[in-house]
Amino acid sequence: MKPFLTLLIAGLAPFAFQSCKPSTEKSGQTASTKMFGISMQTLNNPFFVELNNGLKAAVEAHGDHVVTLDAQFNSLKQKNDVSDLLNQQPAAIFLNPVNWEGVKGILIEAKRKSVPVIVVDAPVSDPDLVLCQVASDNFEAGRMACEALAKVKPAAKIVVLHLSLNRACIDRVAGFKAEMAKHPGMAILDVQEGKGSTEGARPVMRDLLGRFPELDAAFPINDPSALGCVSAIESAGRAGQVSVVSVDGSREGIAAVASGKLLSTSAQAPEEIGRIAVEKAYAHLEGKPVEKEIKVPVKLITKENVHVTPEAK
Amino acid sequence: MNKRSIFPLLGAIALLLVTFALWVPHGLFFTVGNLLDLAQQVSVNAILAFGLTLVILTGGIDLSVGAVVALAGVVSVSLLGTAGPVVGIAAGLGTAVLLGLGNGFCAATTAMPPFIISLASMMIARGLALGFNQSRPLPVGNEQGFFLAIGNERLGGWLPLPVLIMLLVFVTSAVLLHRTRFGQHLFAIGGNREAARFTGINIRLHEMVVYGLCGLCAGMAGMIHASQLFSAEPSSGQGFELNAIAAVVVGGTSFSGGIGSIPGTLLGAIIIGILDKGLNQAGVHFSLQYIVKGAVILTAVWLDVRRRDKK
Repeated sequence: MKPFLTLLIAGLAPFAFQSCKPSTEKSGQTASTKMFGISMQTLNNPFFVELNNGLKAAVEAHGDHVVTLDAQFNSLKQKNDVSDLLNQQPAAIFLNPVNWEGVKGILIEAKRKSVPVIVVDAPVSDPDLVLCQVASDNFEAGRMACEALAKVKPAAKIVVLHLSLNRACIDRVAGFKAEMAKHPGMAILDVQEGKGSTEGARPVMRDLLGRFPELDAAFPINDPSALGCVSAIESAGRAGQVSVVSVDGSREGIAAVASGKLLSTSAQAPEEIGRIAVEKAYAHLEGKPVEKEIKVPVKLITKENVHVTPEAK
Repeated sequence: MNKRSIFPLLGAIALLLVTFALWVPHGLFFTVGNLLDLAQQVSVNAILAFGLTLVILTGGIDLSVGAVVALAGVVSVSLLGTAGPVVGIAAGLGTAVLLGLGNGFCAATTAMPPFIISLASMMIARGLALGFNQSRPLPVGNEQGFFLAIGNERLGGWLPLPVLIMLLVFVTSAVLLHRTRFGQHLFAIGGNREAARFTGINIRLHEMVVYGLCGLCAGMAGMIHASQLFSAEPSSGQGFELNAIAAVVVGGTSFSGGIGSIPGTLLGAIIIGILDKGLNQAGVHFSLQYIVKGAVILTAVWLDVRRRDKK
């Protein structure tokens, strides 16, 4: 008897969930519409949620549909996710890589199956294997952050909370350092891994505050880690003494700028990145040529313009 | 090898295959290409799970395998350019075996629980891996044809090499566990440690060897992983130990030791793999995928426990 029970439950569980799915998705799959695959490095960050929404909205405006998979910062899961998508004959894949070296296998497989890949947000190390890359101007975002900091503290003693696996973050730090060269009084005390998340950055920042009494500025590479930084600064009783500049322009980040907890955030436009990426995908499918590198401008948000910025929804 | 524990697993696999063949749109699930892909995706987890089966059978556990995947990968890849593929791979596998033997030595000679020992060695292995290349991924050069073939080449144009490696590890570990005296002793140690000691089994030696083999499996998984990703990532492999433990317990191995089989583990890994792939391709939201996987693991283990209690 028991084996039959196993079979029954194992067999029925997925069906039970199928009935939970909204009916619109089902009809989208049965009709002869195109499918676009999306593989995100994480969806535990508002930026990527908005980027995904931007892609989804633009594809659905054409009457087609998307399947989004979350790699959860796991390169092997991303590889498996994308090969699952590739076996379903997608019109194109939008890829947001976890590890910019590690996606090469995916890109070769996509090329073999003649599926175009459009890289969104974070670049890959082999641009020849992809149709095009659409990303924020991350170098400029980092440069702007340093410029904003220099206006307030021209001799700032800085710590950087990095996410060094990610090319976009490498570019932000490079931009920051390029601007720093113009301000000889500034110095970087230490560069640590903040994991790009609030819970990852908070303990790291607490330790840095303990180690460097002279520390008076921080550059966390995105808003979630900036919020972790702010929380660490407050609990160490150094609020107002340490200036934090960040990159993202998320709703939470903008709110922190408005309340004076963040000095600035270089705002990206995730939905715009998504819209442009989809535009390029359709242009390619219609046989039009597509430029390889598309940089989407960023905008510095400080206390001065925080109330007029359209992103502050 | 108990037929009564294998048949329900085979039945579950058949049912899952039928389910997804019907569910995934345009009949794209049940194609030769997709199923070969499935086998390739299962390979890393299955190889880890074979090693863990041996450890869990003796009543132990090894949480460090995920971190060892990363460490073995960075050790090998960092040596590829200067010392060549043979030395690089040997160094990676050697590091993995050493860590395994370290776990085994502590488990065999001290009263520390294996859970804590391997929790500590997981952190040590992760720290060692993160020490390479400032924690950034180490790329594998295009000239490393042999190393890149391990994860990406297809034998005869169709059989992925990771699948071939997985099958070799499967046959070797199945023979070792089910057809040798050494394997018999492992069942005896897991079933009743004191009784095994009184029959004259060298428990220390057996535990050292078992953890060493588990390390070797993690090392091999690390080679495939780094090759597939064209780079060794110091932060990769997090949570791999949990996925491998899931495959072992779904495959019918008892967490308290003494009961289990290698074929069961293979089928357990395949079930987890089919769920991952099928739910992905059926377009199920990723949040539901976790819930389904959790429910399946819970159900499988619950049925297994009930069946044993009845006997």
